[in-house]
Amino acid sequence: MASPTKNPAYLRYTKRMLPLSVLYVAAIALATRLVPDNAPASATTVGLALLPGFAVLGWIWAMGRLLVELQDEYLRMLEVRKFLIATGVTLAVCSVWGILELFSPFVPRMPVFLVFPLWALGLFVGVAVNRFTQGGGEGL
Amino acid sequence: MNNRLKVLRAERGWSQQDLAARLEVSRQSVNAIETGRYDPSLPLAFRIADLFGMMIEDIFQRDE
Repeated sequence: MASPTKNPAYLRYTKRMLPLSVLYVAAIALATRLVPDNAPASATTVGLALLPGFAVLGWIWAMGRLLVELQDEYLRMLEVRKFLIATGVTLAVCSVWGILELFSPFVPRMPVFLVFPLWALGLFVGVAVNRFTQGGGEGL
Repeated sequence: MNNRLKVLRAERGWSQQDLAARLEVSRQSVNAIETGRYDPSLPLAFRIADLFGMMIEDIFQRDE
């Protein structure tokens, strides 16, 4: 079987993530440009605001497909570990931050849309844990 | 779990990449199994046993 970087499941994952990422950035830029901060809610503003959300749904779908399509059980286990660690990081940060928001007036409110980018940052923690516990290597 | 995968592979003159190709897994998987960092699933353990023409318990032994 090909190395992780040439694994068909990873290649399909990359092919799916790239256009979705372009769509996300473009949709954010478009919404930022076209929707003023104080704009009243309308079908157009809601539609523009939902566009990046669809890209995020696409990312989540692509990550789910990666787990389904990865035939190599060891590589799949590493990916699942990364996802679990990212979920743990996200739950920990959001829970602690949320409680701080409740009891401290000095802590700024964390926008909910940051949850997914936070989870994505948690993936890097997952990569680090995999490298530390599995001894490094491609795709970890 | 201990295993004799590295010895069995060396006896046949196969590299990790050769064994990985025969098992249709990544070289990383073979390396992780050989070094005891990953215990394969039962289906993969059967594929390994079939490839070497041995019983699973002749390749994989529980930790003493």
